[in-house]
Parts: sequence; structure tokens; C-alpha cells
Amino acid sequence: MRTIQNLKPLQFLGLICVLFFLTAPFTIPLVANDFWVSIVTEIMIWGLFAASVNLLFGYTGLLSFGQAVYFGMGAYGVALTIDIFGFSFWPAALVGIAVATVTAFITGIFAARLTWHYFAIITVVFSLIFFFFAVGWKDVTGGDDGLPFTMPPLFKAGGFELSLLDLTFQYYFILAVVAGCFVLMHMILKSPLGFAFIAVRENASRAGLVGYNPYMIRLVSFVFAGFFAGVAGVLFALFSRYASAHFLFWTVSGEGIIWMIVGGAGTLFGPVLGAAFLTIVREELSLYWEHYLLVVGVIVILFVTYAPQGIMGLLKSWLDRTFENKHTANSAIDGSAVDRKGDHK
Amino acid sequence: MSTPVLQVEGLTKMFGGLTAVDNLHFTLPGGGLHAIIGPNGAGKTTFFNLISGFLRANSGSVIFNGEDIIGRKTHEISRLGISRTLQIKSVFTGLSVYDNVWIAAMGRSRFLNPFKSAASYTDVAANVETILEDMGLSDFTKELAGNLSYGDVALLEIAIALATQPKLLLLDEPVSGMSPNETKHTVDIIRGLSKRLDVILIEHDMEVVFGAADMITVMNQGAIICQGSPEAVSNDPSVQEAYLGTPGEEDEEELRA
Repeated sequence: MRTIQNLKPLQFLGLICVLFFLTAPFTIPLVANDFWVSIVTEIMIWGLFAASVNLLFGYTGLLSFGQAVYFGMGAYGVALTIDIFGFSFWPAALVGIAVATVTAFITGIFAARLTWHYFAIITVVFSLIFFFFAVGWKDVTGGDDGLPFTMPPLFKAGGFELSLLDLTFQYYFILAVVAGCFVLMHMILKSPLGFAFIAVRENASRAGLVGYNPYMIRLVSFVFAGFFAGVAGVLFALFSRYASAHFLFWTVSGEGIIWMIVGGAGTLFGPVLGAAFLTIVREELSLYWEHYLLVVGVIVILFVTYAPQGIMGLLKSWLDRTFENKHTANSAIDGSAVDRKGDHK
Repeated sequence: MSTPVLQVEGLTKMFGGLTAVDNLHFTLPGGGLHAIIGPNGAGKTTFFNLISGFLRANSGSVIFNGEDIIGRKTHEISRLGISRTLQIKSVFTGLSVYDNVWIAAMGRSRFLNPFKSAASYTDVAANVETILEDMGLSDFTKELAGNLSYGDVALLEIAIALATQPKLLLLDEPVSGMSPNETKHTVDIIRGLSKRLDVILIEHDMEVVFGAADMITVMNQGAIICQGSPEAVSNDPSVQEAYLGTPGEEDEEELRA
């Protein structure tokens, strides 16, 4: 039986985070401005987006500068079906996710053949193609100005109506979807497929020699990552009530990479920490200084140079030192977590 | 006579102007430990690379248990039952010893269920434990592969190769860089393995080769110059010429030893 007493320190912190996210719409207004609730909502969406980058880089060893494509496809899938075809909420959301996943599959057929810088380059190219296409086709996509839409209700029966226009409901809806995605991602990473991802990251030729098809494994990872980025894009379109060509731009992918690196690549929740930290930095600093991105740049440089494990790595080593945990590389298959990257350096 | 395990016909591999493997004919009847020796650059490792799909042959065929495997991808060849180790040891450095072998044991699965926990595959776990035990790696299961000594990495690589349950095992200099004790331990293990599956061994250590192999093939300049029992090979004049004929060859010392 698991009880609070035998939780590891990191699990205890996790529990506090869970409580925070579960109660945020009620606890935040007690101590801060209401608009921080929507910042936390945004952090959850960006955290999921950064986690999709992490699935590729942290677990499969592929650095993608193109995750914004699937994020943007998800967002446009929702916005276009609602605005043009008058779809209701659920079909629109499902179309958004499906379009993102299918796009990931088609582009993945080409991208998964490549690794390292060639992979990074082809994903940038995909990103630019889709971006210029969206900017150019202004009649449909709204181009730079974006495509706003009217939010359809999520559920309607008689006089009763549930809609994301109710901000507390919106918060819990997004929390539920993001949490569901993280449960799914956790399951995948702890499954034989997850270990195949890691095997390909660690040593693709060895993985091939023991019977894995590295191309197939990369493609599957790419499609899953596209799916998660698509869900994030759908949520962000619903949250901001519009889609824009800029969602597809490679700088959005770049932000995902930065969140992942600062939070801790190769850890499940590191990307959320990174997204949270840098979003808060942005919100606080941008009030005082328009060039706050310089500070973000310095933070990223410091992390890459001195703490390549990111916030999660710092947190783990701090907890280990504080609680004097003996550090052994446990098997991940046995169920105990193991630091995937860096311990062996 | 039953069909041979491995039948190689006219295998040729050229790198630019250099013919690394030259119209090679080779038959592995099956059963026992087969060693391939030869001076550096004789084409031994290239031969392995061709069999395992790392390189594409310019011409020729390799029939494994009745199937032509030339042109197949590495993972397809592995799934047919050929497993190999590399001259430069290749393991999953950032993972634990246990996970290394576990991943290899799952490599043949047709479907990697993304919704089933890896920990729930109890039969795979039991298999992994047995292999680690057999290889004498049980004490290191939780150690990162990258932290192992060189000799243990070589043993781990053999464990990985075995976890795929091969019919044919190709070992490329498994004992190079090992201490005499480690070498003895490893050779004993390889001897034991060769009783239940076919093993082809590339090795420079002549003591190991002549002490352990049932059959020896000598390669030089991409071709087989001699094949036979250890006694027959050691008395063959063409072998002595290949090794001793070119002064300054490093293997010269080894042959005399």
C-alpha cells in the first residue's frame, strides 16, 4: 500500500502540484489577480506541446523544429470546421486532432528517414512550407490576422448548456484533457514501445541488430508526437478562440524546444516545469521591459551550459542531496524511475 | 547431407577500387564453433557486415536456412535468427544492464503494445534473468551499461545478442581487450553456447582460436585461403605465408605464440 509517509520527496512535490492544479481556479484568486488562472491554463497547454517535442527529442533522440505544424493544424482544424462548416464542439475538436495526426504521418514518412541535423532541417522546412501556405491562403486561413470563431457549446440539453465561455469550466476541461494526454504518454513510455523509442535514441544500429526497425519506431514516435501537439493546438484554439498562421511558424516549435530543455528533456513532466517557469518569467518581465526575451536567452544559455538536465534535473539532485538518497541506476522496467540522460556522463 | 546453415556464393564487396571481399564461397554446415582468422584487412569484419545487412554486397548470395538474405535490412536479418556483436562494442550505454537485455529480448515482437506495461511481461523478465545469470552479469543488473568495465561490456553485448534467441551468432573479436581471466571466462561461455547454436567467431587471439574452435577458416585479401580443423590449418603452408609472408605484420607474433 502506498501512503503519504513512504512517498519519495519528488512524489510528494508531485502531489502538491496535483493539488495546486486541481484547486487553482479557487486558490489563485485568493492570493493573486484572476488572470493568473488563465496563465495556468495556458501553461498546461504549452506544457503538453513541449512534452510532444520531448517525446521526440528526450525519448527518441529526434530534435524537431516542426512541432508547430501539428499544433497549427490542430488549431486550424478546429477553427475552420467551426467557422466555415459550422461544426459543433466535439466533431470540430476531433477533426483538429485527426488532421494534425494525419499530417504528422505524411510528413513523418519523409522525416523519419533522417536523424540529427538532417532531421532538424527537414522539420524546419516542413514548418516553413505550412507557414507560408497558411499566410498566403488568406481568404481561408485569415493569414497574419488569424481566424476567429464563435465558440459552440460543449454540451446542450434543454436549457442547460456547458461551454468553455465559463472560465472555470474551461480550466477543468483543459486540465482533464492535458492530464489524460500525460497519462497516455506515461503508459506509452513505460510500454515496450517506449523502450523501443529509448533504444533507438541510445543506439539505433544496435536496436536494428536486435530486431527493431529504427525507421518504423521513429515514425511511430513522430505520429504520437504529432497527435499530442495536435491536441495542444486544438486546446489552444479553443482557449484563445482563434487560429493564426503564426501558430505554424517555426519559432513556436523553437519555444517548445526551449521549454523542454529548461524543464528537463527526457523526463515526463520536465517540459511542463519549463513552460511554467518561462511563461511566468514572460508575464512578469514583459510588464517592465519589452526586451525580456534577452533574459530568456540568458536563462537558456545558462541551463544548456550548466544544467543540461533542466529544472527537473536540478530538483532531483537537490532532493537527493537533501534527503541523502543513495543513487543507483535502477531499472526503469522494474517500475522505479531512472534518470535517463546525463547520469552516465 | 542436410542443408547447411549458411551458404555463401560468390560474395563480393568493393569499396571504390578496393575489393574487400572477393568472390567468397563459404559453407557453414552447422554444429560447433567456427572461427575466422586472417591478417588485418583480410575482409573478416566486412564479411560479417554483409551477412548482417550493415553493408550491401556488389554481387553474390548468402543463403541462411534456405532464405537469401542479401539485400535485407538489418532488423529483418536479425528476425530471421542471425545475431551479432560488433568489433567496437555496441550496447545501450545510457541504460541499465537489465534494460539492455530486456530491450533485446523484445526486439523480435511483431507488435509493441503501447498500452501494456513493460513490467508485466513476466516471461521476458524470467528470460532476461536467466541470460544475465548465464553470462555472469547478475551482480550488475542495475548498473548503467556505460559504467561497466570493458570486459563486462563485451559480455553484455553477447547477452544482448543471445536475448534475441538467435540460431546463428556472429561474434567479432569478443575477447579483445580482456584480461586473461576474463578471456578464459568468456571463451568458456562461448564454448558452451556453441553446443546449442551455431557460432562464428572472428578472433585475433590464436590461443583462443586454436584452443576452442572446431573449424577454422583463414581469410586473406578478401578471399578464403584455407579451411579445416585447427590441426590442418596450423600445418597449411599458405596460412603461414599469409601471416609470415609480409614482415612487420602484427599477427606474426601471435601465430608463434
